[in-house]
Amino acid sequence: MRKALSWLGFTFGLPVILIFLWWLATTISPSFFFPPPGEILVTFFETWFGPRLWLDVLPSILRFGIGVIIAMVLGVVIGVIVGLNRDLRALTEPTFEFFRALPAPVLIPPLLLLIGPNDAMKIFIIVLAAIWPVLLNTVEGVRAADSVQNETSRSYGIHGFSRVRYQVLPGAAPQIMAGIRQCLPIGLILMVISEMFNTTAGLGFAIIQFQRTFAIPEMWSGILVLGLLGYGVAVVFRFFERRVLRWYHGLKDLENAS
Amino acid sequence: MTAPTGQTLTTTVAVARARSRRRSYRPRRAILGATGILIFLLLWEGASRFGLADPRYLPPPTEVIPRLFQVLAIGDFWVAVGQTIGAWALGLAIALILAVILGVVIGLSPFLRRFTNSTVEFLRPVPSVALIPLAVLLFGLRIEASLLLIVYAAFWQIFIQVLYGVADVDTVAMATGRSYGFSKWQRIRDIVFPTALPYLMTGLRLAAAVALILAITAQLIIGTPGLGAEILKAQNGGQYATMYALMLATGFLGILINMGARILERATLSWHQSVRGEATA
Amino acid sequence: MLPDASAPLNTVSHGRTLPEGETLLSVRGLQKIYETDGGPIEAVRDLTFDLGKNELTCLVGPSGSGKTTLLKCIAGLLTPTSGEVILDGKTVTAPPKKMAVVFQEYGRSLFPWLRVAENVELPLKNQGVPKDKRATLVAEALDNVGLAHVPQSYPWQLSGGMQQRVAIARAIAYQPEVLLMDEPFAAVDAQTRADLEDLVRKVRAELGISVLFVTHDIDESVYLGNRVIMLSSSPTVVQEDLIVDLPDERDQLETRSLPRFTELRHHVYEQIQRAKKGFRPDDALAQ
Repeated sequence: MRKALSWLGFTFGLPVILIFLWWLATTISPSFFFPPPGEILVTFFETWFGPRLWLDVLPSILRFGIGVIIAMVLGVVIGVIVGLNRDLRALTEPTFEFFRALPAPVLIPPLLLLIGPNDAMKIFIIVLAAIWPVLLNTVEGVRAADSVQNETSRSYGIHGFSRVRYQVLPGAAPQIMAGIRQCLPIGLILMVISEMFNTTAGLGFAIIQFQRTFAIPEMWSGILVLGLLGYGVAVVFRFFERRVLRWYHGLKDLENAS
Repeated sequence: MTAPTGQTLTTTVAVARARSRRRSYRPRRAILGATGILIFLLLWEGASRFGLADPRYLPPPTEVIPRLFQVLAIGDFWVAVGQTIGAWALGLAIALILAVILGVVIGLSPFLRRFTNSTVEFLRPVPSVALIPLAVLLFGLRIEASLLLIVYAAFWQIFIQVLYGVADVDTVAMATGRSYGFSKWQRIRDIVFPTALPYLMTGLRLAAAVALILAITAQLIIGTPGLGAEILKAQNGGQYATMYALMLATGFLGILINMGARILERATLSWHQSVRGEATA
Repeated sequence: MLPDASAPLNTVSHGRTLPEGETLLSVRGLQKIYETDGGPIEAVRDLTFDLGKNELTCLVGPSGSGKTTLLKCIAGLLTPTSGEVILDGKTVTAPPKKMAVVFQEYGRSLFPWLRVAENVELPLKNQGVPKDKRATLVAEALDNVGLAHVPQSYPWQLSGGMQQRVAIARAIAYQPEVLLMDEPFAAVDAQTRADLEDLVRKVRAELGISVLFVTHDIDESVYLGNRVIMLSSSPTVVQEDLIVDLPDERDQLETRSLPRFTELRHHVYEQIQRAKKGFRPDDALAQ
């Protein structure tokens, strides 16, 4: 019982305090730009649990999902091929590093011209931005495969695709996961931004529209939605990562304990 | 040539082979890298000339690269670069100070860590671009609009790393310090700081990249002055070669920042590791 | 019958070869030169010896005598500069199917993302052995090494000695003719080492595999092997090839206290000391 109370206290303590302070501030000196928390909550439910769910929220999430999945698959596949071959690595490294350093939002104006402000462009820009952490981390993870593991595979005649599947990829998994962890927030950012240019639907479009029409509580509710989305994505990732890397966490726990 | 005594053959050979493999591969790697860039440019040229993409909207590198050199000679370009770097640096600095102070204070207190954990885990994944409408409302086109986004994003990168770093502090070392009468401040300076420093450097490197992304984003979407705004201006004005040239310039800026961060990281860490007496790998 | 302590040692100052019918593994004139920036390093100059069926031969040498290089050449993991390795009449150019290797670094050789049974099963799975046959082989192998109770554990959850047993199980499930072991017990504590030594002897006797066992531990080489090949310092040649005429039934306490054991051990120790001081059998022969 005490444990449950303690957990409640720690989990909700600070958020409750912060919300209370916000409410206090808005009651003492009401501000146009900062509506009271109650109003935001009401607006949140009014705005987003209606047609907007289908028109804006779900399509946005879908585009994000498709974009990052393509980015992850392509990133891993290309990363494995490049990572296994020293010459390929040398060939692609400067070009890849340039694209990783290039801030992805910069690619939106030309893509708008070349593809147009449609779904394809939005998914494409998400892929283009999110692929680099996955790809480069996969290359590194594959390259740094343990030499004794490599020799073990060779000595037991495990080659080619089998070797990648049973030895190289699992060995590189922690590194690849780190890349995926970085790619998700990037994908989210690009999803939002891509919907702020010449579009008529989507989460990004919605919050910009609220701001332009001075629909302040709605704007804040939009920020809340994006926050929940970001949080949700992080939770899903953590769950997925914990399962895939169960062996890795077990190993690390053991190492840290000694 | 026989192996030097006192060292196993295996180690000698392994070291010598690794070294000569690295050294002998260096020129080949450089050539391959340059070839890779060339191949990319050729593909771009081909896509543009043979109509894979609309040639109006995708000028070939033979147009874009000379345009880049022209742009480099224009004063306005460097003003935009300066504005971009200015916002980036200011935002990064503010984030750094806030993140280090909060990171150390919260990191050193197990109670605070637990108390803030849920809030941190919720606020951290919020995409800073969600704050764009707020930034526009509050600050319009002023630099503060960019700073709101940059600081929010960069702060979390550094803060999380500082938390890891402080958590990594050896409790035995701290207890020793306390027993020798080190004041709280002295312990922070002499024990916590060196331990957390590598983490801080990692956080700074990640934050530097993120800060650039947000700076450019703010300029693209809100319109605060800088390279992003210039790119948009070029697009709207139909100056597509200029637009691509500016994109390349932005990419090179990103590379410079990346390299700078790595050099800083290496320099600080070499000092750090030699102070701690660890052998470098 | 115990050998007379004063009987001469059965040793020759070159690698023994066997008639073709009795030979399982043949090493002929093996040489390995590494090319480096600082000039070529001749690790192994000339190694010639045969391994017969059902033998347990130990390779001992001073540090830096190219033992691992030799083992990797035999295993097909390294290409010799000249000379050849022949298994079952075929030259070894790549790791042959009838050979299995147990590495020293068990922690890095076993795959940490696979459970014990999955680790042992993997080479068989890769060969396309059907599922039920695999299960049988894996169960038998784990039983042989005394690990029937931990098939679902991860290797890193086990002690060092147990991990090495898993590596051995993996090797024997593979049903090789020759088992190569590269200082497998060097990273394990003395108590566990004794158990593992007995395990190797037991496994070999039961399964009839030939074992080539590389070690720097002189006592271990005499206790384990029915033959000890002593290597010179680098560039390596065979310094001596000694038959260990101790009884087949070995026991850690009994055998190690036999006078013959002491004599053999003493002899090997002497030879290794000579090797360390730079004694070159090829120079001695030339005189």
